[in-house]
Amino acid sequence: MVKKKIAKVLAFRYKILATILVLLAGGLVLLPKYQRHEGIKPEELLSNTISPERYITTDQLAHKIINQDPSFILIDVRDEKSFASYTLPNAINIPLPKLFEEDSDSYLNQNQYDVVLFSNDNFNADQAWILCNRLGYKNMRVLKGGINQWFTTIINPLKPAENMPAADFELYATRKAAGMFFGVVYPDQVKVEAPEKTKEAPKKVITIEKKKKAAAEGGC
Amino acid sequence: MGPLIPNGVIPIEWDNIIAILIGIVFGFVLEASGFSSSRKLAGVFYGYDFAVLKVFFTAALVAVIGVYYMDYLGYLDINQLYVHPLYLWGAIIGGVIMGVGFVAGGFCPGTSLCAVAIGKIDAIVYVGGIMVGIFIFSELYPLFQPIYEGYFYGNVTLEDSLGINPYWFVFIFSIIAIVAFVISDMVRKKTKKIFY
Repeated sequence: MVKKKIAKVLAFRYKILATILVLLAGGLVLLPKYQRHEGIKPEELLSNTISPERYITTDQLAHKIINQDPSFILIDVRDEKSFASYTLPNAINIPLPKLFEEDSDSYLNQNQYDVVLFSNDNFNADQAWILCNRLGYKNMRVLKGGINQWFTTIINPLKPAENMPAADFELYATRKAAGMFFGVVYPDQVKVEAPEKTKEAPKKVITIEKKKKAAAEGGC
Repeated sequence: MGPLIPNGVIPIEWDNIIAILIGIVFGFVLEASGFSSSRKLAGVFYGYDFAVLKVFFTAALVAVIGVYYMDYLGYLDINQLYVHPLYLWGAIIGGVIMGVGFVAGGFCPGTSLCAVAIGKIDAIVYVGGIMVGIFIFSELYPLFQPIYEGYFYGNVTLEDSLGINPYWFVFIFSIIAIVAFVISDMVRKKTKKIFY
């Protein structure tokens, strides 16, 4: 009985298979299309975003530059005008609107160097960081506080008050030294050499005694 | 996730081993389904057996539907798949020669090797012919080179060259396939039955 039923169904097996194929193919046409997102998953982006490794402090950066660390490149995401007026040593200028032009791709999308992004504050650099990170670029960092922070910590560090802990004084000394590396001159470091007064030696009068012509002696 | 080897899920060193395993299974299935018989293969052209048409049409159909579903669900990136480069006239002339060889010899290159494995003499002769053909082609390569390397259109798909929606193409393709199956069945019923 069961066998007969199966045989009855199996008599239509090719028709069933054909309808399955057509249904599956039709399903492809009818499926709602969606925009596939490129790059890393949202969860991954979120975990990268809240990771403290994302930032590099100005002190760390100064340390790296002074030790001539070759493992990173600095990228200035401000516009050309600001870049021309002041920037960090050896920085490359990629303004934020030009972030995804072909020329900048070789700097950003690589796995050899750490990329340190900076702007005046870390706001624009953060934007660039998010965009690059979403595309899956590796080793992206942001300079915490940007150039403003660089100025207030390295170039012009705040002198600690007298009642502050010793660590602050040490930090101040380090920053001062770093600042001097980048060309800051502190008044107390400058030794103005007083020009030595040299006594003029009195002119020696050398009297040259003229030899008197010897009187002719004898004669021929 | 996919394709597995380019994305590093399977190390690239496994490439050849996987190819050999797939080749063994493919050969076994060809032989088990009777594709090493030249009579069965030639049946397509004489109208008494359409197994070849049905098998290869169905295989292409199942593969294309499966690939597009996996692409849709995110298991496979269709843009990373290998697309065979198109040398237009090379493909046309080669296809004609291969077709003539298919009718005359009763094998396609793959099934001929399969038949050699089970010791068919006609297949051995056929493979010998392939070798002679390869030799002649290699010797006269400078003559054929402009056709062989010319008319290059890149790694194009029908989607690129015709600009049609791939989903609609798959749907139309599957309907064409089923119509072809029905017609081939009607033809087979009309032709005289041949015992082979």
